[in-house]
Amino acid sequence: MADHHKTTEPTVHRHEEIQRKLALKEERKHHNVSFVMMILLTIVAFFAIWSDKISDSFAVIFILTLAVVQVFFQLYIWMHLSHKGHDFPIWGMASGVLVAAITVASLMGMIWTS
Amino acid sequence: MNAGERLTDANFPAHPEKATLEGKNKFLGFWLFLGGETVLFATLFGTYLGLRNMHLDGPSGEELFSLPLVFLATMLLLTSSLTSVYAVLSLKQNKVRSLQGWFIVTLLLGLGFLGLEIYEFIHYVHEGHTFTSSAFGSAFYTLVGFHGGHVLFGILWISTLLARNWNRGITLANAPKYYLFALYWHFVDVVWVFIFTVVYLMGKVG
Repeated sequence: MADHHKTTEPTVHRHEEIQRKLALKEERKHHNVSFVMMILLTIVAFFAIWSDKISDSFAVIFILTLAVVQVFFQLYIWMHLSHKGHDFPIWGMASGVLVAAITVASLMGMIWTS
Repeated sequence: MNAGERLTDANFPAHPEKATLEGKNKFLGFWLFLGGETVLFATLFGTYLGLRNMHLDGPSGEELFSLPLVFLATMLLLTSSLTSVYAVLSLKQNKVRSLQGWFIVTLLLGLGFLGLEIYEFIHYVHEGHTFTSSAFGSAFYTLVGFHGGHVLFGILWISTLLARNWNRGITLANAPKYYLFALYWHFVDVVWVFIFTVVYLMGKVG
């Protein structure tokens, strides 16, 4: 099929291939960094409770914040939400998270007030 | 090109998981499913948060939970999430053997996690914390057990996916399937982040 394609392709193809390899190398680096960050966030959260040095009410807010940060690492780096072509997935997840927050709040409220 | 044909390095697309219409549809549909799963788990989290202190005369969470065990389980699942993202990197480079290797590591770590959870549940039952012992018991086993069920489902999913495609290389038909499994597995880890925070760590501070 179309021999004239082949004459120009190799140089372009090689260039693209190098670009892709570099992008993947960069991606692997991001994955490793986010893994280390998530391990650290987990250790900090466990230590905050384990050490018993922080007041309980502050500790709850603190570990919930750490959890949210960690989930952002998962979604945006490991699940590639930061990549191009993820507009609809972001909308899907954002609406899911919105409904989820309302659900948690209303369920807790209903059980408490009854 | 036939979607079932083994891809070569020369014709490998930049995004094999989204190179066909079917792949694009699966990708979008799966993300919407994950949005729905988020809501599903929210109902269980909301119920648990409302009922977590109603343990009647059974043991409370503070007495039951052992943080070292939960920490180990967390590390297993977090590492398995990393190995599944390595498998996706192999997918993008058309390295099928390395993809299979990383998914097998993911599978083994998932099994380790599941083993710890089963051990934990058996231990709790001996302590008098069962599904029917109190509202806390029901809410706890529904939430944590539902997550464990997701881990079990993921293990079965990747086992069958790997076995079915063992000698097929990477094709336009199976690339979206591998990719979606990795998304699912990360999502299971996302839910666990909230479980270890809300159930176990918050259980310790009352």
